[in-house]
Amino acid sequence: MNLEKVVFGFFVLLAAALNFGFFIGDISDPALHNVYELFAALVVSLIATVLKFGDRTQLGAVHLATSLVADLQLLSAGFVWVYASQVAETGLTAQSTATIVSLSGGALLANLVSVVLLVTETVSFHRG
Amino acid sequence: MSNPLLIFWRQLFGRDDQTPLDIKRVPRITSGAQASATIFLIMRRMRAPLITLIVIFALSVLGLTLIPGQDAAGQPYRMGFFDAFYFMSFTATTIGFGELPFAFTTAQRLWVTFTIYLTVIGWAYAIGSLLTLLQDRAFREALALQRFTRKVARLREPFLLMAGFGRTGELLGRPFDELGQQLVVIDESAERIDALDLASYHADVPGLVGDAGNPYHLGVAGLDHPDCAGVLALTDDDEANLSVTMAAALLRPDVQVIARTVSPAIADRMHAFGTPTVINPFDRFGDLLRLGLRAPASFQLMTWLESGLGAALPSRGRPPRDGRWVLCGYGRFGQHLAADLRTEGLEVTVVEPEDAVGAAGKEPWMVVGDASEPGVMARADLPSAVGFVAGTSNDTTNLSLVAAARRTNPELFVVARQNRQANAPLFGAMHIDAMFVPAEVVAHEVYAQVSTPMLWRFLQEMPAKGDEWAAQLVDRLTGRCGRHLQAMWKVRFIRSDAPALMAWLAAGDARLGDVMRSPEDRDRYLRVVPLLVRRGEDYVLTPDDDFILAEGDEMLLAGRPADRRALDTTMIVDSASEYVLFDRNVPSSWIWRRLARKPLTLSR
Repeated sequence: MNLEKVVFGFFVLLAAALNFGFFIGDISDPALHNVYELFAALVVSLIATVLKFGDRTQLGAVHLATSLVADLQLLSAGFVWVYASQVAETGLTAQSTATIVSLSGGALLANLVSVVLLVTETVSFHRG
Repeated sequence: MSNPLLIFWRQLFGRDDQTPLDIKRVPRITSGAQASATIFLIMRRMRAPLITLIVIFALSVLGLTLIPGQDAAGQPYRMGFFDAFYFMSFTATTIGFGELPFAFTTAQRLWVTFTIYLTVIGWAYAIGSLLTLLQDRAFREALALQRFTRKVARLREPFLLMAGFGRTGELLGRPFDELGQQLVVIDESAERIDALDLASYHADVPGLVGDAGNPYHLGVAGLDHPDCAGVLALTDDDEANLSVTMAAALLRPDVQVIARTVSPAIADRMHAFGTPTVINPFDRFGDLLRLGLRAPASFQLMTWLESGLGAALPSRGRPPRDGRWVLCGYGRFGQHLAADLRTEGLEVTVVEPEDAVGAAGKEPWMVVGDASEPGVMARADLPSAVGFVAGTSNDTTNLSLVAAARRTNPELFVVARQNRQANAPLFGAMHIDAMFVPAEVVAHEVYAQVSTPMLWRFLQEMPAKGDEWAAQLVDRLTGRCGRHLQAMWKVRFIRSDAPALMAWLAAGDARLGDVMRSPEDRDRYLRVVPLLVRRGEDYVLTPDDDFILAEGDEMLLAGRPADRRALDTTMIVDSASEYVLFDRNVPSSWIWRRLARKPLTLSR
């Protein structure tokens, strides 16, 4: 068992899981989407990105690309949340919640691709 | 290749996509991946500090949002993520705007105290790691290699790949730079490459610290570049030169290779690969000395022309034509030289220490013993000798040998070998009759071969013309161009280079002397010396004024830059050639020529 692979798989899966947890539920209902979960998803996604640094294989490059996409989406979601809850006069409306959740939905897609890559890599791994 | 459209296209039209363009097929040695390996390593090493930083930040921000606080009115208040992130950002980076948006409670301050120490450690770790990596030798080398690779790949003019930038390289770098010949240099020592940067050439000469014997380094330095015009293997290591020659011959059979070696065995092995030009400085100096003994003026002319732009005229030695020579140091150089002197019919006495000669080598002409001992020197009988060679591989020994020999017989013709450049002033002060500096011999030879192929041909043909002829040519050159060597250049009498002379050349009585006049004042002759004319496979050395030129001739000339421009004007501008050749002033533009009704003398 390779500890590096365990850590790597853990973070990739955790990022996808947290992202999914935040995404699930009625898209425009703020009560169903916990902002702490978004924060956790963003942090874990950033860690997963750094873990993918410096891999020279083609698969590694695609891994890094998907993570960067997820980061970008989650950062945008976080930015929209900050804007909606603190800057905009109206506060967190159903419309802005929908924007945040759909952005995290995009990140979820990227994270799913990441997971698929991880699974593919594992399945195609032959010892010897 | 992975593009499905491209694959589809190839499937359909695979047979027909051979382009008619004649693209030089050059084997690829390098790929960008190798150069960037270190960059990936650096990224991997930054993983731990970056993750630490992210975790510390996340933990601190999360803590701040969870700990209850109070607003200005004393009501319970919880920090949002944005406020917490903002606070942590300016606290962690030690900017410290204060407690925002409201004054903290004790519980919050407790947490913030903890996070301040945590984040400072995180930042210090991350920035420290980054700075260490930037200082890292491997990282810097990787960056230098990438920069070098990019520079070489961008070269769009023919360049010479110089493997080894020692004394020879330095001697060659300057004249090649003056000629506008681009160079790419590899040397094992970083100091030599630094010296290259300090040399302040006109052109930007890319230099790589690396093993020249390594084909990968040669590839990075442009061996597989389509514009690579030649490879010069000039390291002081024969093995390395051999590997450069081999790599060049196998990977780029089409480029010219010039290699230096002092060993005949290595030279043989070099000749096994393609057709490299092998320069053995010992051998070459022996040949030059023979030429000098037979024809001092030819020798003077040859060394002058080989020295490159701006070289002062060397003095003409008067070596003894017959008599006995004493030679100290019977190594590879001594053996070559002794053989050359004997070929000239001269008697040679060799002085060599016991341990170097061995029991078998005791010939009657050999004096065994240390030459620095007076008794040994006396046995060599210097007073009756005419020439003396100090040819050991130790400069101090050579200098003291010369001094001792001169004291015994001041009339001796002295040849000395200088091994280290730092000792040049000492040898200069001794006024040696013929200096042997291996680096200079190689540099002159390479310069003559590479700078202008016609000059090389000239030097090949020149000794056959005899001493008298050479003396006259030296007088002509010094008379017209001064005692410092002027530029040598080639002109071609073809339509693209000399459009204004085409009709004159076709007329069949194109005297060379007629065109060598100034376009400003045709009574003044250009101060240039034609050295060589090439017509097909025939060569004519120093054509005189009555030489009849023909279309297609190539000519090698020596002269000042101003006269070169003047000749160029005559060759290109119709009105200038009319004046120079026929003393007629015609307007330079076609319209004025029509209006003035003055057609060209030989209208075409």
